[in-house]
Amino acid sequence: MGSTLDLIGWIVVGYAALVTVAAGTGVALRTPRPSWLDQLVLMLTLLGAVLAVAALASLAGEGRPESLATFLGYAVTVVALPPAALASVREDRGTWSCGVVAVAALATGVVALRLMMTR
Amino acid sequence: MTDDAVTSAPSRSGPHQILLACYAVFAVAAGARSLVQLTTRYDEAPLAYLLSLAAALTYAAAWFAIRRAAAGSTGPARVLLWTELTGVLVVGTLSLVEEDWFPDATVWSDYGRGYGWVPAVLPVAGLLWLHRRAKEPVA
Repeated sequence: MGSTLDLIGWIVVGYAALVTVAAGTGVALRTPRPSWLDQLVLMLTLLGAVLAVAALASLAGEGRPESLATFLGYAVTVVALPPAALASVREDRGTWSCGVVAVAALATGVVALRLMMTR
Repeated sequence: MTDDAVTSAPSRSGPHQILLACYAVFAVAAGARSLVQLTTRYDEAPLAYLLSLAAALTYAAAWFAIRRAAAGSTGPARVLLWTELTGVLVVGTLSLVEEDWFPDATVWSDYGRGYGWVPAVLPVAGLLWLHRRAKEPVA
């Protein structure tokens, strides 16, 4: 289960990096937030949910993580962060809303990495 | 509705949105970390964990202050960001010269190395934004 969790985790990390670069490019080019960026964030949310389910499933198998509260906190955050960021800029499609998406995607990638490290 | 139709961003749009996003993430991250540490192993490094809680409260307060600054009231944000920068520099320096005081790392240890030095960059970025904002002509 550990290797499955790692595999999904690395997919989330890579995808989060892609979304970060895409959103960061939007800020650099000073363009309004395109609708496809929202779809990338929703896909990141879905991948985060898959990672969270895999993380919870991994608890049933091998030994527990050193800090269960931290592990569960990361599992919740990896799912909640991208949609929360999108909701905060729901009515704003300006350039800087791309920056908010970039920050959230970067943080999601870091959380996914931390989730794997705490398992 | 097309992208072009909503391009005219409301007045609350601006670079401070990135600062707000960073501060929100750090308030939650530092707050959750310190609360877990304080409730599960307070005896191991009470000073470090309390300093992490102080950092979390500073980030939360700075989030509100930056929101107010975007609306025009920059005073509280200026005070909080200078306080935060002082905290990062003092705790960061102490964590290097008085290692015995910190059996476990705080958010601001080694100037925020555990968080990619973002804790050291954030208050500087915030103060630069405030400086630029102060130079903008009043509408």
